[in-house]
Amino acid sequence: MKTTFYKYSVFALIIGLLLSTRSFSQEATVDDYRMLFYFSTIKQSDNSRTLEARFIARNKKDRKDKIPVFGAEIKFYNVFNDQELLLGKSKTNNEGTARITLPENQEYLTDEEGYINLKAYFAGTDAIDEQEEIISVKNLHLELDLKEIDSIKTVLVNAFVMDSLGTKLNIEESDIIISVNGMLSKMPIEEGSIEDGTFEFEMPTDIPGDVNGNLTVYAIIEDHDEFGNVITEKMVNWGVFNKQDEVKSNTLWSEAAPIWMYIVLTVLLVGVWANYAYTIKNLFSIKKEGKLLETSTEEQQATI
Amino acid sequence: MDLEIRKRELVKEFSPLLKKSTKTSKIWIGFLIAVILVGLAAFIIQAVKGHEVTGMRDNVVWGIYIINFIFFVCLSYSGAFISGILHFFKTPWKNSVMRIVEIITVLSLIIGPIFILLCIGRLDRLHYLFIYPRIQSPITWDIIAIITDLIGCFIYLYLTFIPDFAILRDNSKKAPAWRQKLYRKLAIGYYDTPTQREKLHKITRTMSAMIIALAIIAYSVLAWIFSLTLQPGWNSSIFAPYFIVAGLYSGVGVIIIAMYLIRKFYHLEHYIRKIHFVGAGVILLVISLLFGYFTFSEYFSRWFSHKTHDINLLDTLFNRYFWMFIFANYIGVLVPIVILFFKKLRTIKSITFAALIAVLGLWFNRYLIVVPTLETPYLPIQDSRPEFIHYSATWIEWALSFAGVAAFILFFILLMRLVPIIPMSGIIDHEREQQKNPKSLTQNQKQ
Repeated sequence: MKTTFYKYSVFALIIGLLLSTRSFSQEATVDDYRMLFYFSTIKQSDNSRTLEARFIARNKKDRKDKIPVFGAEIKFYNVFNDQELLLGKSKTNNEGTARITLPENQEYLTDEEGYINLKAYFAGTDAIDEQEEIISVKNLHLELDLKEIDSIKTVLVNAFVMDSLGTKLNIEESDIIISVNGMLSKMPIEEGSIEDGTFEFEMPTDIPGDVNGNLTVYAIIEDHDEFGNVITEKMVNWGVFNKQDEVKSNTLWSEAAPIWMYIVLTVLLVGVWANYAYTIKNLFSIKKEGKLLETSTEEQQATI
Repeated sequence: MDLEIRKRELVKEFSPLLKKSTKTSKIWIGFLIAVILVGLAAFIIQAVKGHEVTGMRDNVVWGIYIINFIFFVCLSYSGAFISGILHFFKTPWKNSVMRIVEIITVLSLIIGPIFILLCIGRLDRLHYLFIYPRIQSPITWDIIAIITDLIGCFIYLYLTFIPDFAILRDNSKKAPAWRQKLYRKLAIGYYDTPTQREKLHKITRTMSAMIIALAIIAYSVLAWIFSLTLQPGWNSSIFAPYFIVAGLYSGVGVIIIAMYLIRKFYHLEHYIRKIHFVGAGVILLVISLLFGYFTFSEYFSRWFSHKTHDINLLDTLFNRYFWMFIFANYIGVLVPIVILFFKKLRTIKSITFAALIAVLGLWFNRYLIVVPTLETPYLPIQDSRPEFIHYSATWIEWALSFAGVAAFILFFILLMRLVPIIPMSGIIDHEREQQKNPKSLTQNQKQ
């Protein structure tokens, strides 16, 4: 009796667990999350500079559970020794990103080595601690030149920094990506290295541009230790506009079914229907035999 | 044993079944006709006003009509499959259930496709399916499969009826003239001569094998109508075998229910015995385990893959359809398993109860396959009213559904008036076998 009781109790418990799938879920609090604060800078082709801070809360137990911190005020500073020059402030959007763009004529305080020290700062609230992130970048100048040299369409990149006297100093080495503007994003077409401040690349001749054959080319330095993100762009009439000769109408399927489909279907149907025909033929032969029997019986009865 | 005397005895024994017209049966038939008439009225309203009177809208274009279609067609395929297996492998206790299975097969294959016609908004364009078929479309395959299967099932059913028609022809001298004439026509001159018997056995056996193959093909095609689309919840490689197992599950369930009702109302305790219920119950147990396994596998892979649309579908199933999901996939599987697993619980009533739960569970399982998927499309219609997004069947749809079930039962009763539900020829064959091999037990002596 006791065993039966236990057996049915366990069964009832299993059913109960199945029925209540959410019985054990708990409300998550801010303590369950670790705050992630990222800061980056991008220098644009017009020499303006974007400062971007990303503020994300990640669940300590489930690393896939990430929540953007929305509406947090981030202040951006230019730091030099003890001085902190406020460059601007912005609130994080619903993706957890706060962004400001500084104009091309923005004056920066630089240290002895020419580094611009930038700081993103969040003052904190009762629930979330203050956050701070500092990056140091040099003001890199990236020049992009698109020329036809001996009928070869060539991409030329010059990368340099200016010293305090205004002299150009070519950078020693850096990775660079050459991209073209695609429909939705930038499409990389070459990855290489800048050496002694220059990089040269032969442009492919089969890249489609827009209707007028215009192509936007980008030279990009990404996540460099010294220069951060630098991007420059230029438009050139090197694109090949691919006109679509054939206009295909919007059809749901192909015109005809594949041959194998006809063969399989025919074999199956012929096999089945042949069997039906064979069965009906046999039924007729049964009927014929029955009729003969009936006739002979009638004849016998007539004779009697 | 004088064969002719034995045949006369059997006709005498089963004649009351053919003529029986009690007060209860008259009320039953009247009730069924009334349900069919209500369904007919609903059909006229639907035909005049269009699908507006149903719950089907832009998002959910298929409702309980298609669910009934799948249910009945699967019932038919499973009936054909089981009947073919019983005949082909000469199962010892087949005689008592054989005709029930065969009638279920043919009737459900007649009723089922009517429901698909109710789904069509423009019935006046129905003939286009035959004039402009696309061989690459699973819908075309299904039409071919259903027509071929329907004809095959008719032929097969007729073959198994012929010896009984012959017995009735020779022993119904007191029956009305129309009945005698009908038996004479349908018996096509069959006199059970050795050559006739041999021919009939040969073609019935071939047809039984053919019916098994046809059922598998037709089942798979029906499943492909769903699984060859990219819809979440349908696009699954195991859908065809899953449909076969699910169909067998409902088929065996309905056979058990039919056996119980026929046994009770026609007092056939001598022919339909506990052993038949236990045998069918064990088959139901095996299939319920298989069905449970397939169901788990299907939902588990969807849950684990974590694809956005699959997760949306599972959310719908676990929230909006929570109790239906629990009934269809937990209660509908676990209750039959528990009842049928323990020997002590295997009584005629409990086995029938398990079958009833299984059949209801399976109907809801079909509902959950069709409706929630259509309610969670890849591109939802924006800013539309909830009744356009969510589906609930109207009285028109329910009336037509119940009319289908009523027609199924009514035709069953009428067919049982034409030929005995226990094949007399089967009993004679069995006794003949027994005479040849006296040591073998008869089906009725076993329990």
